[in-house]
Amino acid sequence: MVIYLKAGGELRAKLKPDVDHYTRRVETEVGKSLAEILTGIGINPSFVAFAFKNGTLKRLDHIPSDGDIITLQPPVSGG
Amino acid sequence: MLRDDEKERYGRQLLISGWDQEKLAGARVVIVGLGGLGSASALYLSAAGVGKLRICDGDKVERSDLNRQILYSESSLGLPKVEEASRRIVGLNPLVSVEKHDVFLDRENAAGLIAGCQVVVDGLDNLESRFILNEEAFKQRIPFVYGAVQGWQGYAGFFHPPRTACLACLMRPDFHTRDRIPVSGVMPGTIGLIQANEIIKWLMGMPPSLLGRLLIYDGTDLSFETIRLEKDPDCPVCSKP
Repeated sequence: MVIYLKAGGELRAKLKPDVDHYTRRVETEVGKSLAEILTGIGINPSFVAFAFKNGTLKRLDHIPSDGDIITLQPPVSGG
Repeated sequence: MLRDDEKERYGRQLLISGWDQEKLAGARVVIVGLGGLGSASALYLSAAGVGKLRICDGDKVERSDLNRQILYSESSLGLPKVEEASRRIVGLNPLVSVEKHDVFLDRENAAGLIAGCQVVVDGLDNLESRFILNEEAFKQRIPFVYGAVQGWQGYAGFFHPPRTACLACLMRPDFHTRDRIPVSGVMPGTIGLIQANEIIKWLMGMPPSLLGRLLIYDGTDLSFETIRLEKDPDCPVCSKP
């Protein structure tokens, strides 16, 4: 199946977008968690503070479906 | 009843339907951290007429603060932030009462710093202190108005558990802050003003738009995205009774 990962802030460089400036197309197996998918494409899940899909927070144990668009966000700590 | 000078000062906002200046005047708000976020929220909360501002920061002003911390100027360098902030706030609005705490937040002083306030404003510059503040705000059931910035990105949220999720529902408190965080000066200004806007609404009895939600602002493409935050049943902070 295919999912689309988007990244905000400093995660963008790690994601290596290939669809547009923010998005990477990822082919993956059905049933894998988001954390497993990230590890599979060389992104340490610990770089991701949270993720969301369709405006709702998703944890890294979330199992995506075909065609999902999931946004990854880094920890943001300044003030 | 507002006095004539108050009617004059707040005249433009009093024209807004439902505006309740007396509720603002009677409010007590604590701002923890007087950097870029705290500068913006402190100035606009005081300008709006929030009656009592408790401000907390143990830092002194450095030149590298001046790209974003608009409470200060060249003449502030080396001086305690709370003193300079207080002078600026009272200069802007002498009707505001300022309570100064020249300390950094820690586990020992957190409870006392926020006690008795209606809203806690996050003006901090690191995640470790934010999680302490989030936890203490939950214990005292005071809304925690979250803000954070890095690079061209900013987050804002209004957490009021147990009614809503808290910061630890959003992300686990095991991220660490690096020493010098890159930040465009405009970003804390933008997020600090969004925090102030939500606080003003809350104090006047209006529902904050970010209650239980997170705003993600990306300054590179000027995108604002809002996501719903469900409570995490395994949250180490707010799932506890």
